Amino acid sequence: MTFEQSDLQRLIEEIIELYQRYCSDPSAIDVICSELRTLYQKIPIYPGIIVDCLPKIVQPLRPEELKEGNEISVLLKNNQIFVGKVAAVASDKITLVDCKQFERPRSLGEVSLPMRDVHGIKLLMRGILQKEWPSLDFGE
Amino acid sequence: MPELKLKRGDVVRLEGMLSLRVKEGNVSISGGLHGKDSKIVVPRAKSLPLEAETDAVVEYALGAGGSLEQLPERTIPHEWDVFIEDVIQAKPLIIMVMGDVDVGKTFFTTYVANKLLRQGIRVAAVDSDIGQADIGPPSTMGLGIFERPVGLLYEIPARAIYFIGSMSPSGHMLEFIVGMKKMAERGLKEADMTIVNTPGWISGGPARALQLHAMESLDPDIVVALQQDKELEHLLVCAPPAKVRRVPASKKVRPRSREERAFLRELLLARYFEGAGRVKLDLRRVRLERCYYRTGQLLDPRTLGVHASIVHAEKLPEALLVVVEGALDREAMHRLEANFGQVKTISRGSEKNLLVGLVDGSNELLGIGIIEEINYAREKMIVITPVKDGDKIAAVQFGSMKIKPSGKEVGAVRPGTF
Repeated sequence: MTFEQSDLQRLIEEIIELYQRYCSDPSAIDVICSELRTLYQKIPIYPGIIVDCLPKIVQPLRPEELKEGNEISVLLKNNQIFVGKVAAVASDKITLVDCKQFERPRSLGEVSLPMRDVHGIKLLMRGILQKEWPSLDFGE
Repeated sequence: MPELKLKRGDVVRLEGMLSLRVKEGNVSISGGLHGKDSKIVVPRAKSLPLEAETDAVVEYALGAGGSLEQLPERTIPHEWDVFIEDVIQAKPLIIMVMGDVDVGKTFFTTYVANKLLRQGIRVAAVDSDIGQADIGPPSTMGLGIFERPVGLLYEIPARAIYFIGSMSPSGHMLEFIVGMKKMAERGLKEADMTIVNTPGWISGGPARALQLHAMESLDPDIVVALQQDKELEHLLVCAPPAKVRRVPASKKVRPRSREERAFLRELLLARYFEGAGRVKLDLRRVRLERCYYRTGQLLDPRTLGVHASIVHAEKLPEALLVVVEGALDREAMHRLEANFGQVKTISRGSEKNLLVGLVDGSNELLGIGIIEEINYAREKMIVITPVKDGDKIAAVQFGSMKIKPSGKEVGAVRPGTF
């Protein structure tokens, strides 16, 4: 039998869990990554504390619980996501300041992209373990 | 001065700040016997039980927050005294004390050692509560010998200390196990028996690994499980049953909050660095330990072929290590990576406030220090430390916390940074 001799495994599992929970919400992923970076910079020797903090970064909130100054993420029915600080709340609207817009990812199937609109391209490499360390790719 | 008349068997709780003198009779404090004219001081925020061993009279003075309260019964469990009787008979060499935080492991150790001292048994104590160290400064594991009865463990002078490098074993498991073993062995050389206090870190993989490997490494004759309920059973099932002694925790333990612990730690560090001076170390003479820096083949930064403010360079088996002014720009980094593979960068000045251990030629920890500056070009290091004789410092051990001489913790560094 072996024990985890650090909380590194727990940290990776928590990051995977959070990714699975929020992969369709780039605003949540954005703040989690930003906080993760800050936590690691400040307390790199305490991964266990980082694990305990991570799930508390994004929390569900009902409209009646909104307070001025809260930083929130709002998902609209058209899949647009807005992140900002609450400036005012009324029964029919929420006003945000320092606002940033994201869009929920959607599956589109086949698309054609005009070359003139291309700004940058990145190659995405999946199955990296098989390519880099095939002897450690033990299959399923 | 006010007086308190006590009947044999009376129990009083002493709450600091308080000073007391035994005017007549005998009393015991933390198990230690105090006769006529003994003086005891209980510091602020500390609480101790006094038991009258005979009819006695004590005179006392109360300071800020101080009080005396007569209790209806003993707060020390009867099982502790039965345990001590058994220890006197069995004469074990090493006793390992396990328990959750705030169950009173330090008080238990003090009580047992004081009681054994009354029987002429010389006891060494290893204090591994590195965050709230009673023996030695925080971030170290200390060894002390009970030469006289004490109310609190911190009254025991440090006979030896070992630098861990942080305020918790997390990330410093190897230093912790090695330190515990070394201190216990040293204790056995200087005393009849060594009591090793373990940290209150008892659940989760790293904690289990630490506790069980500490147990395996120490190979104690007795493992004392100080429990409020059954919180240690998951560890005890892995210990040889004949060695395990389950003992109830004292009824009067006052839990400390996280903030209170941080405050006490700051106070202890501030007291340690009071009167500290600056020591200039020549890095060509002094060995550096627990770091990558100065463990490779030194290179002349001008030969690296990049236009960057590199003040130190060396080739390690793992990477090229460079110390830079500010940050390395992307082009310089790409060039170095192309020529040397992996590049490890240290930003000049990031060493400021780093906690270090200072050891002598016999590998004994002289004390701890705070790096004020490393002059990489001139190969000099300035350390703030109460260690007066800089010539005795043969090696510097790098830790992972950053603190100021005021005791304030100002950060932590990623292991492997230096």
